Amino acid sequence: MEFGSIEREIFVEAAPDIVFDVVSSPDHLKQWWPDDARYEPTPGSAGELVFGRGEDGGAAVPFTVVEARPPRMFSFRWTHPADEAAREGNSLLVTFDLTPSGGGTLLRMTETGFREMGWGAAVLEQQFQEHVHGWDFFLPRLAPYVATLEVSP
Amino acid sequence: MSAAVAEKVDDDLWSAIGDPTRRRMLDLLLVEGEGTATTLGQQLPVTRQAVAKHLGVLDRVGLVRATPVGRERRYRVDDAQLARAVAQLSSVGSAWDARLQRIKRIAEAIQRTQQDSQQH
Repeated sequence: MEFGSIEREIFVEAAPDIVFDVVSSPDHLKQWWPDDARYEPTPGSAGELVFGRGEDGGAAVPFTVVEARPPRMFSFRWTHPADEAAREGNSLLVTFDLTPSGGGTLLRMTETGFREMGWGAAVLEQQFQEHVHGWDFFLPRLAPYVATLEVSP
Repeated sequence: MSAAVAEKVDDDLWSAIGDPTRRRMLDLLLVEGEGTATTLGQQLPVTRQAVAKHLGVLDRVGLVRATPVGRERRYRVDDAQLARAVAQLSSVGSAWDARLQRIKRIAEAIQRTQQDSQQH
């Protein structure tokens, strides 16, 4: 186990351009992670992820797109201080690499920056991870979501 | 211990374990049960002095415990502290497992929707 970074790989039975959309577009992102996502999916675009809802509007976490090379690679930094530009050492870097594979896509995710950011970042990640609880959260959301998807002609 | 101090200790623990040489040293200590700067230095491409310095870092954050033996200090891994560090990162890893499963389901649902529409 490599401390200080997280690496995962998953095979998705969908074309790379579809998977790229799902990992990069704010509309898709909020279906699999935060409650709201405000950014443009273009390099350098700074925005925020919002966790939680309610009267206080939830907790906003800075989010900055680093690279977007459809349909092969998408990376972003998050958790940097709101008044600072995202850079190495003040944020966690998440990179998605997409490789076409047997009619589907091999999706690789790495998250780095824990070593530079320290323990606090890992605790922060933990706080924002399980506001959802797997299928309890996901299934009720997915069905109405898929029903709204635009069907390509 | 105040919250601020606890946080500082945690940050130090994290950066202690983030160094590849120190992780290798922890591996060696876990496999061999114990070791000194001399025995570890023989198995690593760094000087005995560098090993001693790394052991000092690990000792300060509680990842190893030392007992004096003659002119040297013998080190063992502190299992509880190591487990604590590992658990923290594992929980972040499982969060990503859940996110990636959701990404997979969404992308595959879109793929099926597109295929269905092409067939009709």
